[in-house]
Amino acid sequence: MSIFWISIGMGIAVAAILALSSVAFTLEYAVSRVVNLAHGEVLTIGAYAAYVAETTFHFNLYECAIVATIFGAVTGMALNYFLIERFRGQKSLSTLIATLGASLILQNLLLIAFGGASVSYAFNQGNLLHVGPFLWTTLTIRVIISAVVVAVLIYIFLQRTKIGKALRAVAQNRELAQVSGIPARSVVMRTWATAGAVSGFAGFLYGETIGTITPTVGNGFLLLSITAAVGGGLGRPYPTLGGALMLGLVMSIAGTYWSSSYQLVVAFGFLVLMLLVKPNGLFVRGKAQTVRA
Amino acid sequence: MLQYWTAILTEAAIFAILAMGIDMIWGWAGDFDLSAYAYFALGVYMTMVLTIGKPHAPVTYVFGLHLFFPLAVVLAVVVVVAFAAIIGAIALRSLREVYFSITTLGAVWAIYYWVENYTPLFNGYNGVYGLFDPLGGGLSYNAYHYLFFAACLIILLGVYLLVSRISTSPFGRMIRAVRDDESAASVYGRNVFWAKYRTYLFGAGLAGFSGSLFAAYIGAFNPLDWRPTEIFVLYAAILVGGRGNPKGVVLGSFIVYVGFVELTRYIPSPAARPELGPALRQILIGLLIILMLKFRPSGLIPERLGGDGTEGRRSWRTLFAKRTLESKDSDVALGAVSASGVDAS
Repeated sequence: MSIFWISIGMGIAVAAILALSSVAFTLEYAVSRVVNLAHGEVLTIGAYAAYVAETTFHFNLYECAIVATIFGAVTGMALNYFLIERFRGQKSLSTLIATLGASLILQNLLLIAFGGASVSYAFNQGNLLHVGPFLWTTLTIRVIISAVVVAVLIYIFLQRTKIGKALRAVAQNRELAQVSGIPARSVVMRTWATAGAVSGFAGFLYGETIGTITPTVGNGFLLLSITAAVGGGLGRPYPTLGGALMLGLVMSIAGTYWSSSYQLVVAFGFLVLMLLVKPNGLFVRGKAQTVRA
Repeated sequence: MLQYWTAILTEAAIFAILAMGIDMIWGWAGDFDLSAYAYFALGVYMTMVLTIGKPHAPVTYVFGLHLFFPLAVVLAVVVVVAFAAIIGAIALRSLREVYFSITTLGAVWAIYYWVENYTPLFNGYNGVYGLFDPLGGGLSYNAYHYLFFAACLIILLGVYLLVSRISTSPFGRMIRAVRDDESAASVYGRNVFWAKYRTYLFGAGLAGFSGSLFAAYIGAFNPLDWRPTEIFVLYAAILVGGRGNPKGVVLGSFIVYVGFVELTRYIPSPAARPELGPALRQILIGLLIILMLKFRPSGLIPERLGGDGTEGRRSWRTLFAKRTLESKDSDVALGAVSASGVDAS
């Protein structure tokens, strides 16, 4: 039974990071109605920014986290400004294909800049600790706590601040929000900055947890983020959060009893199951016969 | 130099066939399918394991037969279509647009990791390889490749004629009508799912067929050869040529494929940085996709709706209505149905 609990413990850590990444993904969809296939690259950029900060400038753990967050935010804003806004008014499928192109560009720029070999942070992993039935390192606990803190911050941002309220209005109907006096353009830009910052931070946490960073590390995480978001409810932050936690646990259990090489196979099975049973998302009420964006 | 151009043009011809298959799904039916390259890869794998004979340890793969090449091609295409039938049934049943793309994206990665990790299937990460000669030997290396190139061109021509024939047939017009307005097509008695599903299976079959040709050409195949990102060059080719127009797609495939091979030939790839050339190539492809989508989404030779070249330009609506309503005011009638908000889905 102890292996089961250890794997659940690792699952919680991965699920916590996945939650951040997929909430960012879902926020991008909420305000711009775009499935951002370049989302994974924002995570990768965050991870590499922290790596450079650590190896070249010898920043400590917290400073590295801030650097990753800032680079993520800048990337998110750049994506919105140079790509998403230019394709506004076109079909969501066109924008999806355009983000596919952007993903290709960013991924290969990273490949040119850092090479294909994997790199890793040199942070101390800390001690092994038994927390209840779980076995965690100090670093894993930090990862989980910081993910929870960020999730709470996102909640406060969405529910308690004026910009969060404006964001929700734009997500429901951009034109209506615009005529009601909400500066939709700037709200969308700030949402992308927020989503990018959360993604960059998630990329840093992910690099720290799995230990190796490559130019494709975020891209592998993209499909998991999409699965979590679609499984929970695309464009809805809280259902997405639930979807991410569920997916993280499903994957870690499958990884224990089967093989971790088949993680994405399991994730896809989960995605298909969700789409067949509840295409609008597991935690969203209502039913639609044809699901389209 | 002649050998060099033969090699490039052979590959371009094979990819043009694949591009036509993808374009049927994406251009005609409007479903942006990200798993098409898996069908191509499955075609390559199946053709190889059916023709190269028994595996020698430690290599493992299924079947391991020595079949006659055309028979192997037929079997490979059947397997690919059967496989596409499963994915298509899941993805097309009720999912459209980005949800469809997401599902196929998940499918291609799941298949990819499965093939890479499950060695009894196609020898996992190391892939399958083996020399086989569809002609049974007897020709010199060069003569064989020239002949193969000629065969590919003839097959390409045949596929092109078939595809453009379907494109201008009633089915070709119907599938575009379904793409442009599912509700209207449904009101006029068309089965939306069945139309899209048949197109999907045909496109996947074409992709598998081009994979069979590629297997005969390349002789070795492993997962690195079909990372899902490899397909983007074909999306770029279809965008450049013109979505939904077989002529444009073939033209785009040759322009983009030959153009990229030629352009990137002059990019220095120092031994210390072997990834530089391919990376720059991928960046160019990404840029090409975005720029085409932004500035000329219909491509060099745009699709001509309902036109088969002999009757001048007619809108699909009049074609539709002629057979169903027999009314001269069919456009008005259809507009009224759409406007009254009948939702047939």
